[in-house]
Amino acid sequence: MRPITRLASGRLPWVCAVSAVAGMVVFSATVETAVRPPKFEYEIHKLDNGLTVVLSEDHSTPIVRSELVYHVGSKNERPGRTGFAHLFEHLMFKGSHNVLSDSHLTLISRVGGDGNAYTTEDATTYVETVPSQYLPLILWLEADRMATLRIDKETFESERQVVKEERRWRYEDTPFGLLSEIMYDQAYSVHPYKHTPIGSMADLEAASVDDVQEFFDTYYVPENATLVLVGDFESSEALALVKQYFDRVPKAAHPVPRDIPREPPQTGERRITLTQTENWPLPAVIVAHHITYDGHPDAYPLHIAVKVLSDGQSSRIYQRLVYDEQLAVSAFGQGTIIDDPNLFYAVSLVRPGRTPAESEQALIGQLDRLKNEFITDRELQQAKNQFARDYVFTRATVEQKASHLSHAAVIHDDITTADAEFDIFMNITKEDVQRVARTYFTEENRLVLTIQPPAPAGRSFLRPGDEE
Amino acid sequence: MTRGWGGWAVVVLALGCATASAQQPLDWPRESPPPPLPARQVHFPPYEIRTLSNGLQVVVVMHHEQPAVNLRLMIGAGAASDPIGKKGVAALAGQLLDQGTATRTATEIAEAIDYVGGALGVGAGTDLSFVNVLVMRDSFDFAVDLLAEITRTPSFEPAEIERQRQQVLSSIQVSLDDPAYLAGVVFGRLVYGEHPYGMPHNGTPQSVLSISREDLQAFHMAHYAPNNALVAIVGDVVAEEAFASVERVFSDWERRPLPPSPSTELPVPRRRVVVVDKPGSVQTAIRVGHVALPRNSPDHLAFDVALKILGGEGGNRLGSVLRTERSLTYAASADVTSRRFGGDFMAKTDTRSDATAEALQLMVAEVSRLRRERVGRRELENAQAYLSGTFPLTIEAPNAIAAQVLESLLYGLDLDDLPRYPERINAVTVDDIQRVSREYLQPEQLSVVLVGEAATFIDDLAGVGFDDVEVLSVSDLERFLGPGTAQAVFDSPLSAP
Repeated sequence: MRPITRLASGRLPWVCAVSAVAGMVVFSATVETAVRPPKFEYEIHKLDNGLTVVLSEDHSTPIVRSELVYHVGSKNERPGRTGFAHLFEHLMFKGSHNVLSDSHLTLISRVGGDGNAYTTEDATTYVETVPSQYLPLILWLEADRMATLRIDKETFESERQVVKEERRWRYEDTPFGLLSEIMYDQAYSVHPYKHTPIGSMADLEAASVDDVQEFFDTYYVPENATLVLVGDFESSEALALVKQYFDRVPKAAHPVPRDIPREPPQTGERRITLTQTENWPLPAVIVAHHITYDGHPDAYPLHIAVKVLSDGQSSRIYQRLVYDEQLAVSAFGQGTIIDDPNLFYAVSLVRPGRTPAESEQALIGQLDRLKNEFITDRELQQAKNQFARDYVFTRATVEQKASHLSHAAVIHDDITTADAEFDIFMNITKEDVQRVARTYFTEENRLVLTIQPPAPAGRSFLRPGDEE
Repeated sequence: MTRGWGGWAVVVLALGCATASAQQPLDWPRESPPPPLPARQVHFPPYEIRTLSNGLQVVVVMHHEQPAVNLRLMIGAGAASDPIGKKGVAALAGQLLDQGTATRTATEIAEAIDYVGGALGVGAGTDLSFVNVLVMRDSFDFAVDLLAEITRTPSFEPAEIERQRQQVLSSIQVSLDDPAYLAGVVFGRLVYGEHPYGMPHNGTPQSVLSISREDLQAFHMAHYAPNNALVAIVGDVVAEEAFASVERVFSDWERRPLPPSPSTELPVPRRRVVVVDKPGSVQTAIRVGHVALPRNSPDHLAFDVALKILGGEGGNRLGSVLRTERSLTYAASADVTSRRFGGDFMAKTDTRSDATAEALQLMVAEVSRLRRERVGRRELENAQAYLSGTFPLTIEAPNAIAAQVLESLLYGLDLDDLPRYPERINAVTVDDIQRVSREYLQPEQLSVVLVGEAATFIDDLAGVGFDDVEVLSVSDLERFLGPGTAQAVFDSPLSAP
């Protein structure tokens, strides 16, 4: 049993924050909405050492899901140490006071459980799902490593090699695997979103075992952590167990630093063309705009814009670029709405025989259309129905429920958003969508990035499109 | 790409202070893991199965927590039933199901499903083709109608065929830069030879170009029949209403005689080592295995446990050796793939180029050891503890329940075995593991595929016992997948690094 660690990539498309919007929307009684999902039932506590605890009972199956989220991710890394938050996540499986190296997951798999961890730009999350009678085991394991992680130089060196293999496998030898890394490197100047969570090979090499101590003392403290439990337990009993194992974790000596450099506003369009020599089978065109953070009132209309552009085969980008004009093999729009301002980006993988310029023009044309005219009432309703679907279908399992609750509690810092965002979303108007399009999809805020395959492009027998 | 910080020059700076480790609070107790709470009852959730008079089997799994319904239809024919020389017909036909019907265009279908906030998935696998429709509860009738319409009356319009054909060709082109794809298709060809299981689902560029509208219509006519189909309705529905809805849209679908099954003859395992040279790669994808057993084999369960010990959850000797001990990889695993007429086992990993021979040697040694030595009782118990203990995790989601029921129906397995899974796992003995390992593992006859930069490791292979190696370039692939190469080793390497 190995920790199959995943990095930030498959972010739920609908996740966004609403706490700042709650007082501002006009509630409408006439929303023609899809079936309403049930609300979460949960309780939230804070231990004396600062650990936040969320408990949500679900007795449908005798299992329990635990998510322990540390509010530290790649954006907390200092220059020269990119990839360290993720490397550190791996080290959390290498032993603590009562747990031998690599035993954490073995102890879990021996009771039929699954464990894993993942690192995003904003947070590092440790997860377990076990038959519910083993709740004490996972609490004991997590508390042990929160308080007493133990890393020696040899362990550190060997795990560094594993992470380098992960980078090679997941990003370097995969078609278009470095797309995000290239885009963020071009789009940012000082904010740590300039690098992706995997980090660079050079920085992974530069990290030392001394960095481990400092990072652990700074960020792996109870006040920077949120424990979410969802499953078949009684909350009072679960809370008593949580206190039994976590109350003895000492309080942090210092407050958790939040001094992350701000990205200055972009003041003029940036146009960049690059060539990738490996694993780049087709030209890619990216049109990216800096947007806002999770929790800003503009976040919801931006998510509506994503749906109108890119959710389903009737969406605008698919219809125009893939279906009608067949400019692209694949094309989509995506908003990354997280802790700090990130990007809205539209991507086209250019079909053989068509040009990057055509894709660029088409993508910009679709963004301009959002500025120049209202989306239709039908498109707005469709986007809301799709949102409701995502909302319902991503709350089916204890794993999904825990993910929603932890996102609300950690990233929104307001657990009520786990339910409240539904109404807010349902009341977004087409005027809201046009307003945010005009705010962010401006020329001076735009990055047009074209990434070409090596020349001569590809292998002729595999490009029947060229022969037509 | 260059980056703002760092650089290789700083590599050695950090190594001066050797033993920093996190401080331990002085009063942290030395203790063992806590005992479990009293175990709670596990029940396999209820489901119902009925068969319509035309042979269509219908499964209903009710689940009322969320107001949503999933409709899944499976046809018991996929890429393995492609006509000779027309690889990719089942996949292309599957992909075209929602691209126009007798009454609606592709765009009209997309607009309809998107507007209700639904999702639609179509396609084909090896032994099956499928349609999945996902909707909110209030769109259930719409979804049932749509399911029947796209299953029964796809129009295969020439313009849509061309669109999807180009999509398939483009996706093959992208895949040719993907080591996992290259390793998978070459492994399939080595292991299954010219059996239909040995070809990529999507076909090859040449075969895809050769597919006509008539081929697609003929495939649909031959295989899409109620007596070759299963439907599952999963979610917030009442069983009687679900059965009635399926009856309403499918009862006039006429039963038809089905074509004969594809060949069941599988080749005998024979050692063969193929390197796909992909200059510029930083890793090598390694795949090792050979044919094993069909899904309905009585040995399937014990063999699956054996492979978990080799490379799965609850065990994983490969992970221990390659990752934990040697830091050669991010992940190493072994798996059983079992289909209707046969299956295979495959061990896999991806390692940095210069470690290719070492990793390959270690993998083959572990396959040999599993066959040669009895597994330890404790090792088996750990694997069993995982597999039986994880049972409640596998029956949480209604879709997971439906998937287990559909798999049993598709492969003709005993449905009563589903709730008995933990007991069946715990009944496997060390003797069983040894017996199936000796019967189904042949370490001297392994197929080996290595995808990476050949020049970085080719000279090391003889030193670890692999001196008869064929080297392909990516542009040789179409020829390699074509007829006549299954058993004949190439006279001379197609390209030498």
